[in-house]
Amino acid sequence: MSDRTFEMELERQFAAAPILADTDTFAFLVTQRLDRGWTFRRMLIGGLGVVGGLIGAGQILGSGLLTRLDTITAQSDDLVKSGIAGLPAVRGLTNLLSTGLSMDGQVLWMSAGLGVLAVGLFVTRAIREL
Amino acid sequence: MALSPQSLASAHDLDLVSLAVAGGRDAFGELVRRHGSAVRGLLRRMGADPALADDLAQDAFLAAFEQIADFRGEGTFQAWVKRIAARLYVKRWRRDSRLDLMAEPPSPDVEPSLGENGAADRLDLDEALRSLGPTERVCVSLCYGGGLSHAEAALALNAPLGTVKSHVKRGLDKLRARMAPRSALEDPESAAHV
Repeated sequence: MSDRTFEMELERQFAAAPILADTDTFAFLVTQRLDRGWTFRRMLIGGLGVVGGLIGAGQILGSGLLTRLDTITAQSDDLVKSGIAGLPAVRGLTNLLSTGLSMDGQVLWMSAGLGVLAVGLFVTRAIREL
Repeated sequence: MALSPQSLASAHDLDLVSLAVAGGRDAFGELVRRHGSAVRGLLRRMGADPALADDLAQDAFLAAFEQIADFRGEGTFQAWVKRIAARLYVKRWRRDSRLDLMAEPPSPDVEPSLGENGAADRLDLDEALRSLGPTERVCVSLCYGGGLSHAEAALALNAPLGTVKSHVKRGLDKLRARMAPRSALEDPESAAHV
């Protein structure tokens, strides 16, 4: 038998490994370790997110950002109201709405925020489904 | 997109790899089920005891999952994981300081036997590998089971290329001596030239 033939035979025998009886158990153990690692990562990322969020919230509160936002909101509220007041056609509609709904600047901010959150959730869900 | 277990079982390796790249752990589990035995078998043939072989094979599959985006499909998935596993075994071996590539190979425990009854002397690869010294066994297994070139094996073993080639050559000579009777019986034409 030539060297090459023998080497090919050797490769063939190496490739022809017997199927072990506990194949399914082995696969289960590997996927279990994968799942454990995945869970740990999610917890780690979640934990780091909470810590980061708390630090960020602390920074925001400490920097007086909320006060400044409140000022900006009040200013934009005044601006919107004065703009609407200048439009005769819209004035009637605004009066109508203001009887049942108080549309000030903060509501607008919150609505926009909730809208972004909803879009984010929708996109996340869509990606998971794909 | 999640597939049913039946779909996973009938899917091609490359499709399962694509699903695993997207984070499909079920698809990867199917790959483990298909190729686990081969990887564990290689590690045992390299000299690992069954428990160590199982541990390292698990580590190899976990490493494969981490790096699965790097799998280009140029070879088979099984060959790719085998290479990872073989390198892990060598790493462990070197860490445990059991590797002495410069040492003269010990005499085999059992001399090649070419007894009167040819059928009784049929030796399979596993038995033949036991007649090799540990270093020869690892070198031969890396190159012929793990699919590494001599240069890649030398790199993995952190040894000179010439040294690795010598170990492979000696190992092959011993294997040939032990496995020859079987080959000759299976191939009468070759036997006529022996």
